[in-house]
Amino acid sequence: MPILPLHWAFCVVVAMQDASPPPAPPPALELLDHAHLSSALKALADAHKDVAQLVKLGSSRGGRSIDALRLAGAGAAQDKGRPAILLVANLDGARVYSSAVALQHARELAGRYASDDKVKALLDRTTLYIVPRANPDAAEARFGTPRFEQRASGPGVDDDRDGRAGEDPSTDVNADGVIAWLRVKDADGEWMDDPADARALIKAERAKGERGVYVLWPEGRDADKDEKVAEDAALDARVDRNFPDGWEQHAKDAGVFPTDEPETRALCDFVLAHPELALVVVYDAQDSLVGEVKSVGDDAPFVKRIPPEGVLESDAKLLGELGKRYKKVTESAVKAEGNDKGTFTRWCYAERGLLTLAATLWDIPLEEKKKDEKKEDAEGGPKGEEKPVEQAAESEKSPQADKQPEEQGAGDKKGDTKKDKDKKDDEPKPSDDAKRLKWIDAAGASEAWRFLPWTPFQHPELGAVEIGGLAPYARLEPPASESGLIAQKHLDWFLTLGELVPRIQIAECTREKLGEGVWRVKAVVENDAYLPLLSRSAQRTATTRPARVHLDLPSAGTRLGGNVQELLEDLPGSGGRKEYNWLVQGPDAMEIAVTVETPHAGTVTKQAQQKKATEKK
Amino acid sequence: MIALTLLTLIQQGAPKLEGFPGLAAGRAPKVEIAWNRLYDTAELYAHFDRLVAQWPELFSMQVIGHSVESRDMRVYTLHNPKSGAEADKPAMWVDGNVHGNEVQGGEAVLYLAWYLLENYGSNPRATELVDGSLFYLLPSQNPDGRAHWFEQAHNAHSSRTGVQPVDDDKDGLFDEDPPDDLDGDGQIVMMRKYVPGQGDFRLNADDPRVMERVPANDKGIKGDWIYVGQEGLDNDGDGQVNEDEVGGYDMNRAWPSMWFTEFVQGGAGPYPLYWPETRSIARFILAHPNLAAVQSFHNNGGMILRGPGAEAYGEYPRADVAVYDELGKDGEKMLPFYKYMIIWRDLYSVFGGFVTWTYEGLGILSFTNELWNDDSQDPEKRIEPKERYFFDDKLLLGAGLVPWHPYTHPLYGEVEIGGFKKDVGRVPPSFLEEEMLHRNALFCIRHAEALPRIAIQEPVVTDLGGGVRAIDVIVANERAIPTRSAVAREKKIGTPDVLALEGKDLEVLAGGFRGDRFRPEEIELQEHEPARLLREAGLGSRAELRVRWIVRGTGSATIRYTAEKARDATRAFELR
Repeated sequence: MPILPLHWAFCVVVAMQDASPPPAPPPALELLDHAHLSSALKALADAHKDVAQLVKLGSSRGGRSIDALRLAGAGAAQDKGRPAILLVANLDGARVYSSAVALQHARELAGRYASDDKVKALLDRTTLYIVPRANPDAAEARFGTPRFEQRASGPGVDDDRDGRAGEDPSTDVNADGVIAWLRVKDADGEWMDDPADARALIKAERAKGERGVYVLWPEGRDADKDEKVAEDAALDARVDRNFPDGWEQHAKDAGVFPTDEPETRALCDFVLAHPELALVVVYDAQDSLVGEVKSVGDDAPFVKRIPPEGVLESDAKLLGELGKRYKKVTESAVKAEGNDKGTFTRWCYAERGLLTLAATLWDIPLEEKKKDEKKEDAEGGPKGEEKPVEQAAESEKSPQADKQPEEQGAGDKKGDTKKDKDKKDDEPKPSDDAKRLKWIDAAGASEAWRFLPWTPFQHPELGAVEIGGLAPYARLEPPASESGLIAQKHLDWFLTLGELVPRIQIAECTREKLGEGVWRVKAVVENDAYLPLLSRSAQRTATTRPARVHLDLPSAGTRLGGNVQELLEDLPGSGGRKEYNWLVQGPDAMEIAVTVETPHAGTVTKQAQQKKATEKK
Repeated sequence: MIALTLLTLIQQGAPKLEGFPGLAAGRAPKVEIAWNRLYDTAELYAHFDRLVAQWPELFSMQVIGHSVESRDMRVYTLHNPKSGAEADKPAMWVDGNVHGNEVQGGEAVLYLAWYLLENYGSNPRATELVDGSLFYLLPSQNPDGRAHWFEQAHNAHSSRTGVQPVDDDKDGLFDEDPPDDLDGDGQIVMMRKYVPGQGDFRLNADDPRVMERVPANDKGIKGDWIYVGQEGLDNDGDGQVNEDEVGGYDMNRAWPSMWFTEFVQGGAGPYPLYWPETRSIARFILAHPNLAAVQSFHNNGGMILRGPGAEAYGEYPRADVAVYDELGKDGEKMLPFYKYMIIWRDLYSVFGGFVTWTYEGLGILSFTNELWNDDSQDPEKRIEPKERYFFDDKLLLGAGLVPWHPYTHPLYGEVEIGGFKKDVGRVPPSFLEEEMLHRNALFCIRHAEALPRIAIQEPVVTDLGGGVRAIDVIVANERAIPTRSAVAREKKIGTPDVLALEGKDLEVLAGGFRGDRFRPEEIELQEHEPARLLREAGLGSRAELRVRWIVRGTGSATIRYTAEKARDATRAFELR
């Protein structure tokens, strides 16, 4: 048996506590190419016609269908304004594993509706839209040869400003079936061996007396013979850099204009067309659940008319609590905070007011988890000390990430935890890649594919080089032993979301006779779920329709006081209440009711009950 | 081709001028258009089509998309195809009427096309523009808004939006409570109510048509009148009047540069280029990297506007500002009572504006003109309400005014309806229209005459011995607009210019741009492909570039300068 990393071992222990015979870990998820994923979704919809339908959002630039599975049970109690939850995965083309997890959710939910009370409760209360693969074009690279992490799917730019676009992409020069890294011994090089593990490279620091010996490139030719390797890819624009909020104009991966990528626009249009959306979940490269969310005050002043970036404080508190619950159920500690500019996650929250729970499902762990650290993590403790920005640069790095190789190792110093600092200064601190190699070594033969040993190669333009480094997908796909378990734990967590979404009730609805034919009508609107009717962001963006509260008066009745309708925006969760009063005139026999309509938190009508105790006769 | 046309003219000797010279005693134009009228969408397109019919060899139309109500988005192309392909000519974009009520921009675009076509072949400068450059003309960015403004009841300010329904009041219903033309006269004017001793307005003592606010006083003096809003009803019974009009957005807040969503920039829509009109225009413009000048026509206020639209952008690069200033200041002279202004600083903040996208996003020098200045921006010249009534009375015989007349309103009871008509205030009266169109069209021509033009001077060959020669050449942009604006250079927009030396028997050993007129050895050598020198900075405003190549070999050679926003220039020579 391979040596398991500690946190995996811990997961097993937790799982074993639940049931007495230790259950076998769920089988690894199968990764499906577009054709197979499409037929899997169709088969699922066909097999569960009672709860599942296939919904097409649009087509990718390459003409592949972007599909959602709509799942909804029979529960009709709040069908008008029934809340919906949207799950989107695999926006980053390389995160194919996240699409497998989303598909697993869809399968389990559809399959267990009839037999599992938790599933039934979720599907009877909400409508789910599951989009397993938002970026089918880029994801297809996972299944081709050579294998590489494709993130871009849109127009290329002239990366190296030589008047030609896309003339020098990465290629599999050594024909080993994968596109890895290429290093060249060069006096101009900025990289050197990591003293902790010579297989890893670190950036030489002149201030420490270090001198670089390697130039590092993505694997490729120097097709345009400018002494730069693989520096001008054919495609540059990425789906999840192409959303409007914080869009980085002129950044090569941002696209020509926001929503120019058809996948991006299809998702935007889907969100716009579904006012019943109450919550969004994203399984991809973003994280709003594990790491600390960058927040700003609810009323933080605009600077030169522009709002400061970040999650509004009131919403950040909710995310903090939801993150705590997420970590407890999934035991995930994977952070991927970083550049959220132009992402779906950010757009949903900042411009549509939708609370968006983003999770990065897996990465090679940098540290062996200790039990006390784990607890601290789950409490959202002082781990904020770590530098999320560095981590972000780190999480992106791979040859195909279109990052300049300089960014490799940007997080080198991140390992400087307090304990490390206590050690002698001359003891080499392993770089993040060295830590990853340690994990890979410990994981045994089945995981050895994740590192390609540096191997000499005679390059057509550069001569003697070495090709190797972290393999494509090494940091994106968990080992087989964890693959199914992560999905299972995330499904357990996903099942808890249904009871969170806002739910409108009329807690009280009374009529009090003030005098002959004159009535005071009082209604108390209540939200008994966890999430507020509208997030603070939604109140600001005014994109989710507020609740419409109105009196239903027969023609015999006349309104003497109170508005014909009230629009209610600010109704907190966990029992938030708001009272309304009207004065009406009419016969004793007339029926009076109050209706509250929402697009996403139900619609209710309640007859006003006569309030006898305070009758003044 | 320019030279050819001129040569033809000269060869004919004292030529009998054909066409319309633009002077009052000149020949009648080939296509007569009444310039004292405004035209609805169909009529405007019909006038353009008359120009196409008259000059099919120079003027053509394409439909680039459709509006929400399926009207054509039309681009008219004006150039001489015999003098070169479209893609090789520097192009100017001119449009109007993104705001449906700001109609006269459409006529200004029409006037520009008409004036150039009428003068082609007779006026050398008009001829040169049509031969040497290219105009893409979009009469209306918002043909639906324009059609609604003409065909339906409106006022000077309404129908600014497009017509895609928006739930302005967030009640789940769309466009359900617009203003209502209560008296059926095709105008949405004001409603006032007589409330003796309880009002805040009174009638002017000299001219009872004029409502004036009662000055603040401590004597308890009140007026007898109140305004009760624009003509309209509470159509949806929600207690509010006219709160959900048709549409309700702003297609000049929809463009990708410095775009911000609704709560920052009202009217921006759910994402940039959301509406089909804007998206079709953006796609067209992106497909034409030869565009090097943009002019957009709005109304009103007498302004020649440039970005930034938002303070947060910061100022534009100095080199570009210099060109803007040159054109803007000429504009102030050509357009008396207009001011050259910066949008955010001198008018108001605009996020996601059209001309800020074409400049900040695409690197094209771009202006917005606000046509007609009834309300001058200069407080000294501001026209007082009374003067407006005087003007209407004496110069329009009262035609601009709906006289106050009684109406029984379901909510307000007995009211009076009246006020200025929709074509008063933001558009000129008919007798002043032609001047406005001419001056603004000629400002476009001033702009177009600044489009970059590259000239390569005669190369100088120096024998360095041992079969090695130096080739020195000066390449110049003769015009004010750079081949690559400073913002394009900074943000790496588009493609760098390329200066190439070609010769089949030449071996180019080295090459680069010279930094000094007197020291030929001061060359910034380009390490790779010295025969193909890259120029991210392009050729600046009236700039010269000195180049030196070191070559081996002899024979025919060609120097070629390639730029996206200028005609390629070539110079062939012999190396002996």
